[in-house]
Amino acid sequence: MTSPNTPLPGQERYVAPVEETPLHAVDAIDENAPATSMWADAWRTLRKNPLFIISALVILFIAFVALFPRIFTSVDPNYCTLDYSRNLPSAGHPFGYDMQGCDIYSRVIYGTRTSLTVGIATTLLVIIFGGLIGAIAGYFGGWVDALLSRLVDIFYAVPLLLGAIVVLQMFRTSTSIWKIVLVMAMFGWVSIARIARSSVLEAKNLEFNTASTALGSTPARNLFRHIIPNALAPVLVVGTTSLASYIVLEATLSFLGLGMPSGTVSWGGDISSAQTMLRTQPMILFYPSVALAITALAFIMLGDAVRDALDPKSRTE
Amino acid sequence: MTENTNIPAPLLEVKDLQVEFNTSAGNVKAVRDATFNVYPGQWVAIVGESGSGKSTSAMAALGLLPGTGHITGGSIKLEGEEISHYTPKQFEAIRGLKMGLVPQDPMSNLNPVYRIDAQIKESLIANNIDITREQRIALAEGLELTAAERAAKENVHDADDELFLGSAQREELLAAAKEAGKEIVSEEDMKFWEETWTPGSVTRWNVRHDMIQAGISDPKATEIAAKYVTGSTMADRIAGLLDEAGLPDAAMRARQYPHEYSGGMRQRALIAMGLAARPRLLIADEPTSALDVTVQKRILDHLHTLTDSLGTAVLFITHDLGLAAERAQHIVVMYKGQIVESGPSLDVLQHPQHPYTKRLVSAAPSLASKRMESTKERAEVHTKQAEAGHPENVNDTIISVKNLVREFKVPGRKELFKAVDDVSFDVKRGTTLAIVGESGSGKSTVANMVLHLLDPTKGTVTYEGQDIHSFDAKQLLDFRRHVQPVFQNPYGSLDPTYTIFRSIEEPLRIHKIGDAKSREARVRELLDMVEMPQSVMGRYPNELSGGQRQRIAVARAMALNPDVIVADEAVSALDVLVQDQVLHLLNDLQAERGLTYLFITHDLAVVRQIADEVVVMQHGKLVEHATTDEVFNNPQTQYTRDLLDAIPGGKLELGLDM
Repeated sequence: MTSPNTPLPGQERYVAPVEETPLHAVDAIDENAPATSMWADAWRTLRKNPLFIISALVILFIAFVALFPRIFTSVDPNYCTLDYSRNLPSAGHPFGYDMQGCDIYSRVIYGTRTSLTVGIATTLLVIIFGGLIGAIAGYFGGWVDALLSRLVDIFYAVPLLLGAIVVLQMFRTSTSIWKIVLVMAMFGWVSIARIARSSVLEAKNLEFNTASTALGSTPARNLFRHIIPNALAPVLVVGTTSLASYIVLEATLSFLGLGMPSGTVSWGGDISSAQTMLRTQPMILFYPSVALAITALAFIMLGDAVRDALDPKSRTE
Repeated sequence: MTENTNIPAPLLEVKDLQVEFNTSAGNVKAVRDATFNVYPGQWVAIVGESGSGKSTSAMAALGLLPGTGHITGGSIKLEGEEISHYTPKQFEAIRGLKMGLVPQDPMSNLNPVYRIDAQIKESLIANNIDITREQRIALAEGLELTAAERAAKENVHDADDELFLGSAQREELLAAAKEAGKEIVSEEDMKFWEETWTPGSVTRWNVRHDMIQAGISDPKATEIAAKYVTGSTMADRIAGLLDEAGLPDAAMRARQYPHEYSGGMRQRALIAMGLAARPRLLIADEPTSALDVTVQKRILDHLHTLTDSLGTAVLFITHDLGLAAERAQHIVVMYKGQIVESGPSLDVLQHPQHPYTKRLVSAAPSLASKRMESTKERAEVHTKQAEAGHPENVNDTIISVKNLVREFKVPGRKELFKAVDDVSFDVKRGTTLAIVGESGSGKSTVANMVLHLLDPTKGTVTYEGQDIHSFDAKQLLDFRRHVQPVFQNPYGSLDPTYTIFRSIEEPLRIHKIGDAKSREARVRELLDMVEMPQSVMGRYPNELSGGQRQRIAVARAMALNPDVIVADEAVSALDVLVQDQVLHLLNDLQAERGLTYLFITHDLAVVRQIADEVVVMQHGKLVEHATTDEVFNNPQTQYTRDLLDAIPGGKLELGLDM
């Protein structure tokens, strides 16, 4: 018989030897741990990500080509003689000639600059404009938000391609490559604005904003010093990923004859003019397409890697 | 070994349990050599801070280790059977049926798109408790039995115990029982029947037992019970389970969605689910941490009665030593994945032996009975001030709240909701006033109005005799210098993109105080003040623990040398030891600098440690305002008494032999 006060077997009083579980100071700080911020953390994750390393190397190379095309070819992409029309590859002209007798290799190299400029410029414009509109809508709320959100909805309802075709038709005479950048930015900012709005809404409700207000900070200061930096990550992620889509879109518009003014070397334009010989000389179409695909893929991969690094939750284990 | 026949076999036997998690930084041992037993019908508590491995140990027993966690050694035996190597499928078979779980967070553990009844039904079906089938089998058996056989089964009431009263038969049963009990049974007993014979919860055996107790003869009672208690429908059973868990109007409530429930009601629904299949062991993982103390007390009281009547053992996981000691017979204290002390709960609490347990006991606010020591030092500061010729600074009013009212618009309702209703109090310079109340009492709304983050609908807040809501921009900026907040959530109140240095420097920058060099010196000074190494300046908040962040938040609040600090639940999210540390820090700062605190909290136990005066709020109204001693020793209102009663472990005697 056990008395009610006797503990049951296995429930006797037990005290672990102190040396087995040494006590630590309450809430001690590991002073040796490396400093990390969200960005430093993201960089550390990125550095180890093969997807990032490969895409970054490819993009660096593409950027180098765009900046210094002369290192890669001495042939003028606009020097075309019909004599060489559809000639096969030869020494110094590894990809051969297109219908107009232009050197395909040289055109692919020089086309890099156009594609990259258009992609990067559009992305920057979209992030700045869309981000600002979204941030204002999210931060001020009320009628400002209602108004801006409807504006976003209107632009969202217009298919990007259709809108671009309509607007570009009006500027057919313009010879600047910036018209295409502007048009793409005009219809591209809405998706960024939506993302910026929701991430600002989220950041706005975090307690550090209240804390900062109670410290004496003004709403505008809060917006620029606290909310926008905290809402930046998702905007950047979408921005990087959509960079690729702008490069492709530019090619699409050029293919439709609405893109680059004549005389500008661009992959889209070359793909467009190569289509007539698709059955007889598919290689003319092949080279600019591959260049376009590699560039787009590299930016998409970069966007994925950045997203994984900035938002570890989305990572699939 | 005839002596041992009375010793029951342990229900759950955990021996040398090891649990590891694979992380990118290598394997982390979450639990090392954990050994403990749970006996049938017993409450065993595992106590520890966050990260001590208390939940991990319990989840290992349930086969629900999160992520990469896995058992690397030791054994877990349930009713003598080794289950540590079970496959997920095998675990599924015993989970619910033999071991139930009441999870921690009532908000996220119910699916918002299903009605409550559907979710309980799911837990019944998942455990093959098909009531209609059961009913059929029981009926068939009952028909085969002769009266004699039934009588022989008197003490073996298994079939009768499985057969619940149906709502359709309830009225007839009551009528028949009253008819049979005419002139024998007292009014009270009949009333008791009406109140307690709940469909889906009361069994044939219960009904028969109740009738015999009331004086009806055994054969008659058996006959009536057998005739009318013939099994319930699924809906009855679900309502019965909810009723058992203490949910009022269970049949109606069962048809509602989780968002129509309060936190306490959701927790009751989860308890109903955990107990639906009548497991022998219920694992309750901090089941009431998210709830108000009075709700916590009601739910745990109810759970206690319920598990006692069902004979269910409970493995109770909590961070609150007082709560554990109050509820459990056996206590297991875990620290950094290891069990440091275990034993009968009162014994452990009154004679803690391991230094960690001693630390816990001395830090537990619910067990402390005095205001912190620095009161004395503070008195000295006051005397010194008085001697130095500033007698006007002693005990005069610094903040005064008069007839404060705040109304909010509630979507879909016409009338405004009064969050704060005619609240007035004064805060004396150099003292701490605590506002206490449950969630929804309006205490934070008051704090926000005092901080000028929210405008009052009516009434005034005055600081140094001036109405703060009439301030212009310049005056407001000046006011902000003098009144600083420390917020509840240590993870939300620091900007994650700012270094610690920038965070603490921010108020100096906003108020354009000093140059870069003097600001840096000030930040270093402030870090010393909150006992943080200066090396954390370059760090980001995500590298610090909750308590450390809260100390940074205190440093930031102190940067401008304020007179008043409004602390809104500033320590509520912290572990006991860390909470104790921050409270001491706040207390010392007050002693050194003559600060005034407005301390908002739901935890009366903390109030006793830090406050001089207490304001108790309920439903937006001020219900009691007195000195701390007065409130604790001589509470004037029932609500305050309820709050005091609900302090876990508040009544336990402590003989701390340290």
